[in-house]
Amino acid sequence: MSTQEARRWDLVGRLRTTVDAIERLFGGLTTSLLAIAALVWLAVTAATCLVGMGLLLLPTVPRVLRAVADRERGRLSRWGPEIISPAPAPADFRAAIRDATVQRELGWTAIHATAGFALGSLGLTVTLWAVTDGTFPLWWYLLPADQAADTLGILPVNDMGDAFLVSLMGVGWMVVVMAIIPIVARVQAWPGRQLLPPDPASTDLALRVAHLTATRAAALDAHTTELRRIERSLHDGTQNRLVAVNVLLGAARRALARDPAAADAILGNAQDAAEQALTELRGVVRTILPPVLTDRSLPDALTSLATTSPVPCLIEADVPGRAAASVEATVYFAVAETLTNIAKHSGAKQVRVLLRRDDDRLWAQIIDDGKGGADERSGSGLAGIRRRVEAHDGTFALASPAGGPTILTVSLPCGS
Amino acid sequence: MRIVIAEDDSLLREGLALLLRAEGLDVVATAGDPDDFLVAVDEHKPDVAIVDVRMPPTHTDEGIVAAVTARRRQPGLAVLVLSAYVEQAFATELLASGSARLGYLLKERVGRVQEFMDALQRVAAGGTAIDPEVVAQLLARNRPDNRLERLTPRERDVLAAMAEGLGNTAIAERLFVTEGAVSKHIRSIFAKLDLAPDDRADRRVTAVLHYLEGRRV
Repeated sequence: MSTQEARRWDLVGRLRTTVDAIERLFGGLTTSLLAIAALVWLAVTAATCLVGMGLLLLPTVPRVLRAVADRERGRLSRWGPEIISPAPAPADFRAAIRDATVQRELGWTAIHATAGFALGSLGLTVTLWAVTDGTFPLWWYLLPADQAADTLGILPVNDMGDAFLVSLMGVGWMVVVMAIIPIVARVQAWPGRQLLPPDPASTDLALRVAHLTATRAAALDAHTTELRRIERSLHDGTQNRLVAVNVLLGAARRALARDPAAADAILGNAQDAAEQALTELRGVVRTILPPVLTDRSLPDALTSLATTSPVPCLIEADVPGRAAASVEATVYFAVAETLTNIAKHSGAKQVRVLLRRDDDRLWAQIIDDGKGGADERSGSGLAGIRRRVEAHDGTFALASPAGGPTILTVSLPCGS
Repeated sequence: MRIVIAEDDSLLREGLALLLRAEGLDVVATAGDPDDFLVAVDEHKPDVAIVDVRMPPTHTDEGIVAAVTARRRQPGLAVLVLSAYVEQAFATELLASGSARLGYLLKERVGRVQEFMDALQRVAAGGTAIDPEVVAQLLARNRPDNRLERLTPRERDVLAAMAEGLGNTAIAERLFVTEGAVSKHIRSIFAKLDLAPDDRADRRVTAVLHYLEGRRV
């Protein structure tokens, strides 16, 4: 009894495995169709390259490969150990084709588009046979009399007895399906499992985690520093000015009775202090989040910033749409801080700020014709800019040979 | 009255000096940081030091530290600490060695010149001036016993004024009652709080403050 039961359960388990495997094969067939489409796209690009137009399409190839491969990664992760998506492919096409991950994705696409497609079709065809043959007695009489036969056309069917024979063949096919489908599904997934995980040589996940941890910590740190800066400027600037106004007004009231002329002079001081308070308050508010940045656009904000720069500054912006507010604010401060630095240290006569958006990254480049030799270790605001930018997972590059020019390039993921 | 001012904000420093001189007081030196302040105290031996809490280099509690140091070097120096905001820890730190010749006021009180002058005089004369804001925070604090609840609203007003360092006359003026009534209230308060009655203003303030801070004398 117990052994029988065990066998029955085994059959149920087997059936379940088979249904699972059929589902996987079907999924694999879908991604193999996508892989075929990717190969077709590659061929079209290569062909049009001959007439020059394809050159414009080239950058899309790694992205198409990545999209298809990511789909397969997601599929494989659902059915087995998770396959983590690698870091984004280099934006530059030449760098991308030299990228090991992209090369492996290309290899996988070729295999999956051919072998993966063939295995998927075969497996599903056999399954289909098992179903059609197995259910044959139910619908064979609908077929034209001389055409009724099993799926392979071996056994002509003329009556119900023949039809039941065919359904026995269907059971035979079912056995075949249960025997081979799980294996076929595994074989179909194998190239993906081998080729699609991130290249261990180029992507050290531990390093990435360490970097993310460090930048997150830097983000919190930058946040605290920022709050402290705001608190300090409010306390030392605005609040002290207002206290001074208060003190001077008190003094003026006392002087009013004794010596009206002195009172007037004190009131003048009080007014000066009030004006300073307003100026400083305005300054603090602007540095928290420039109103123009929220009301208008980043280029507008930078243009208004340029008008206050002591060194003549030209903004060349080409950014359709908006990025996340925190990203725009970070770019704004990177530019603001750099312009301050340039005015203080570089002796430049002209600054150019280039702003552009490239897919999902916002790039800003600040170029001055000053004396160069800028060093982020020298305690200028450069280290602060780097921290803020890296806290947003951005990049920071400074080129400043002695004699100039100085070029600072920052880029941040847009987050939108 | 000879006064030294320590305040890092120059506008405020000059404003204070102007105000005090206009009131006929003798501002003998002004300093922008704790070191200059201590030098000025050593040099001029003032009667009163007016000290800002936040000063360079770290802008945290340099003023308090400098005031405590100055008092150690020159016992009997009256210190009036000015602060942009109320910080209970600063008050506790200051009052650790008694409340005589000590003041702790919010900066904005300076604008009410008459009250500020009164506080300054009181501190210089050996009394105490604690900002009403500090007292309010102390009164609002949760404490293990609920003896404060036994006080009538009037007695709470008197207690607050006492904690600020006001003498009976000043309390009577503020609350528009007679000095006799104030004395009666005070006796009642001390009885209700189980404190030993004391007629000397400074010891009385210390007792009240210590009670409010949750420490027994």
